[in-house]
Amino acid sequence: MSLIEDLIFFDNPSIWNNFGGTSSGFGGIVWQMFIWSVIVGLLVIAWLAYNLIYFRHNDGDPDPKDALKAGVFPHERGNTVIELTWTIAPLILVTWLTIISLAPLNYLWDVPEENETDLTVEVLAVQWQWIFEMPTNYTIPSEFTKCGGVDQDGNAMQNMAVTYNCLEIPHNSIIRFNINSEDVLHAFYIVEIGIKQDVVPNLQTLAWLDTGTVNPGEYNIYCAEMCGRSHSQMLAKLYITEMA
Amino acid sequence: MINANIRTLSIGFLIAILVAVSAFPNGNGLPTGIADKNITETVIANGCTCHNTNTEMTSSVIVNLTLPANFTSGETYTIILNITGGPNDLVNGENRGGFFITASDGELAPTVNDTLVQKPFGFTHLTHTVDGNDYRGWTFEWTAPDKDDISVEFVAYGNSVNGGDGLQNDYWNKQAITLYGVNAVIEVETNKELSGPQKLIYAFAIIAVTLTVVVIGNRMVTKDQAFEEVLKGYWKSIYPWLTTTDHKYVGIMYICTGFGWFFIGGILGLLIRWQLMEPRIDGDFLTYEEYNSTFTMHGTTMIFMAAMPIIFGFANYLIPLQIGARDLAFPRLNALSYWLLPTGGIVIYMGYFTGGAGDVGWTGYTPYSSGDSATTPGTDFWVAGQIMLGASSTLTAINFLVTMLRMRAPGVTMMRLPLFAWSILITVFLLLLSIPVFTVALLLLMADRTFGTLYFNVEAGADPILWQHLFWYFGHPEVYIVILPAFGVLSEIITTFSRRPIFGYTSMVYAMATIGIISFIVYGHHMFTTGADPLFRFIVMLTTMLVAVPTGIKIFNWLATMTGGSIVLKTPMVFALGTVITFTIGGITGIVLASIPIDIALHDGYFVVAHFHYVLVGGTIFAFMGGVYYWYPKMTGKMMNEKLGLLHFAMSFIFFNAAFYPMHNVGLSGMPRRYATYDASLADMNEFISIAAMIFGLSQLIFVYNVLYSYKNGEEAGDDPWDGWSLEWTTSSPPPHNSFTEIPTLKVAEEETQ
Repeated sequence: MSLIEDLIFFDNPSIWNNFGGTSSGFGGIVWQMFIWSVIVGLLVIAWLAYNLIYFRHNDGDPDPKDALKAGVFPHERGNTVIELTWTIAPLILVTWLTIISLAPLNYLWDVPEENETDLTVEVLAVQWQWIFEMPTNYTIPSEFTKCGGVDQDGNAMQNMAVTYNCLEIPHNSIIRFNINSEDVLHAFYIVEIGIKQDVVPNLQTLAWLDTGTVNPGEYNIYCAEMCGRSHSQMLAKLYITEMA
Repeated sequence: MINANIRTLSIGFLIAILVAVSAFPNGNGLPTGIADKNITETVIANGCTCHNTNTEMTSSVIVNLTLPANFTSGETYTIILNITGGPNDLVNGENRGGFFITASDGELAPTVNDTLVQKPFGFTHLTHTVDGNDYRGWTFEWTAPDKDDISVEFVAYGNSVNGGDGLQNDYWNKQAITLYGVNAVIEVETNKELSGPQKLIYAFAIIAVTLTVVVIGNRMVTKDQAFEEVLKGYWKSIYPWLTTTDHKYVGIMYICTGFGWFFIGGILGLLIRWQLMEPRIDGDFLTYEEYNSTFTMHGTTMIFMAAMPIIFGFANYLIPLQIGARDLAFPRLNALSYWLLPTGGIVIYMGYFTGGAGDVGWTGYTPYSSGDSATTPGTDFWVAGQIMLGASSTLTAINFLVTMLRMRAPGVTMMRLPLFAWSILITVFLLLLSIPVFTVALLLLMADRTFGTLYFNVEAGADPILWQHLFWYFGHPEVYIVILPAFGVLSEIITTFSRRPIFGYTSMVYAMATIGIISFIVYGHHMFTTGADPLFRFIVMLTTMLVAVPTGIKIFNWLATMTGGSIVLKTPMVFALGTVITFTIGGITGIVLASIPIDIALHDGYFVVAHFHYVLVGGTIFAFMGGVYYWYPKMTGKMMNEKLGLLHFAMSFIFFNAAFYPMHNVGLSGMPRRYATYDASLADMNEFISIAAMIFGLSQLIFVYNVLYSYKNGEEAGDDPWDGWSLEWTTSSPPPHNSFTEIPTLKVAEEETQ
């Protein structure tokens, strides 16, 4: 079993890391997809090239014995065994790809309850900005100043409970996002981490992130669902900050 | 005169202020907000000039004002103002931004206990406080005036301040918005400057008119005819086309209209690529709104007005010939189907002449498309035109179904239909079952937009993703509607040019039928990120993966047909083989996207754009270009030029891949689709894509030239220039008026040899 577990090991939504091989390497779903894509693609191209090299018509070749004739339905050609082979082989391949695609869904879709998280952020999307609200009982750590202002003496100030187009969350924590829309469809997309969740008016959607699986630093949040004029300006920054 | 005085006065104030402010070391603009009378007047007259060395407003700063759609008298509204952008787009650090807003009527006020916004004593405007200076978004209230049959002008100034190094490198911009009362009569703005696409349309119109004048004038002079006589001469040649119900004429009109719209849609595509040549700011080439219209019209044009008409043009021309019928079952209905197409297309494009074409994307997702922020009336035209195209397709589907089930010649049994005919039969089944759903959804949307119904009104409790279900129930079969006929064309070309029967005819038919059936139960894979039921998403992932199996069978059967054959590499075959490669790549990325965890990351990004251009251009369009080279001799009696054809293929294939393959990479880097601008780190890649796309577009002119050139100068084709087997090759090229001099009988090879 451990071989299969190794092959389908994938519990990290930050699939770009996996693509680079840092956490689960070639067992990651992205690598598997990539490898199988290359194999199938090369198979088709190689077979095509083989046909073109060995079965070209040259001037003076006699007509093939089953050559086509206008107005005559040609001979049936086929080979049940071969045809079954290339029905069953792709079937097995896509079944395998489906299985490895299922493995991460348990993780992705199992959004923790609010009382199981370290922090639940209310995300509100409006045309065309992101508004992030921390829960009332959450004490914002003093080192969280990326989204705060600067006082008159030039010292960075602590974040407010509500921040606009900027979100700062702690490292090594379970973060849950309760996502709501004020007007039309948007999509909450953390670019480098690969989390995407549509923001649907009148329907709260959820996303979550274990910040222990990613590095602290700066990330981008985009809106990924067409929402009108300034859709491509509906951007925000995400800071994952290490706590002392 | 008074204005001039005020301007002189303001400049005086401005100089005084500049001197005063620059007297302070490390001045920070006005961190305390604009509370002084002189400065207020300066700002109103000249803008936030104290924040910028060159005193011009900068379009890279975006001042966003979130206002209600309209106002009712006496009501209080919450208004959000926020600014983004600016070359010094700092997110932290002191002194990030400032604002100043006036309203021509009503009363602006800070919200209670807000320490970020102030209303200076004795003034009507709002500005930031010292604390508010550290933000780029502010919320405040506005109480509407007593009357609501008027309009109120809001003018907001926003500063993008770079911190605390004085006045250098601060940027500002201004945003003026008119808010109408519920009972206000909205005056349409006049004398607006033409938008980019409008200029293009006018330019083409001027060229067309000039050409017409030159051609007619030339004829009048050289043939010494009166103007009326020249027009009568033209009328005589146009009249049969306008009134025809002959499937061959209608088919050619369909094909020409389809390629005509393909040309227009291609220009829109190139406008998109020009916009994305570098990360542009709003209005640098297209405004963001125009960009949204451009990709909407590009998508709509290419799917509904280019791909489908080209397909049904070939079907119109070939299906009666291939099944040995004289015409379609309902020739007049066929003509109606055709004429709905250019009409609907023109209706969709009317938006460009009424202040902006539809900007809702080809998918038209509600509640954006049903709400107020989509273009009006551009989006209404889009909906109305789409309904006409839907009606056209429904009629076509019925016509073909009846024809193919009832009018086959002797010997043409179902299992002896050519594979192109089979692909059309399955396609029209899909069309008949799917497109009415879309038409109904469009009718509901039209009712919402025009008559005030609430089918998609989320605030009234409508299901927010109802539209997506209705749309994709149609939309996914639709993509198979455009790819299955391409499979049919490939099957015909590959078997003919391998000079032997297709490998596994029966399994090809079953594979296409399977794709057709599965196509109705996979549509949810467009909705993996919507928050729809997980079970639903899981099931459609399974079925989507299954599509690979019949598609794989088809590809392997084509390859097996070639193995052991005698392959003749003429232009149609080269196009077909190029299609096999590009379609395979598109098919593989389709499987990658079917995997939910990967789709969540790639959804609505350029990886998806790359995928569907590989299947739609690399699949459908390439196959049908091969189809043009293949059936052109049948339609005109002339062969197309082989050298030009191969050159066209080489240019298309190389630059198609150069343009669309890097989109995979751009998508993996996280560039979302439908973005009018993008992260500067992707600029090199996008520039490469844009240049390749332009060359790809230009190389299609070779094709146009070849079609026109060969019509005059091509070699005589004869009845069966490629040695194909199906019945269209038994009649003359071009076929006689009634297609066959006598109804043919399809013979069978097994019986022939006995």
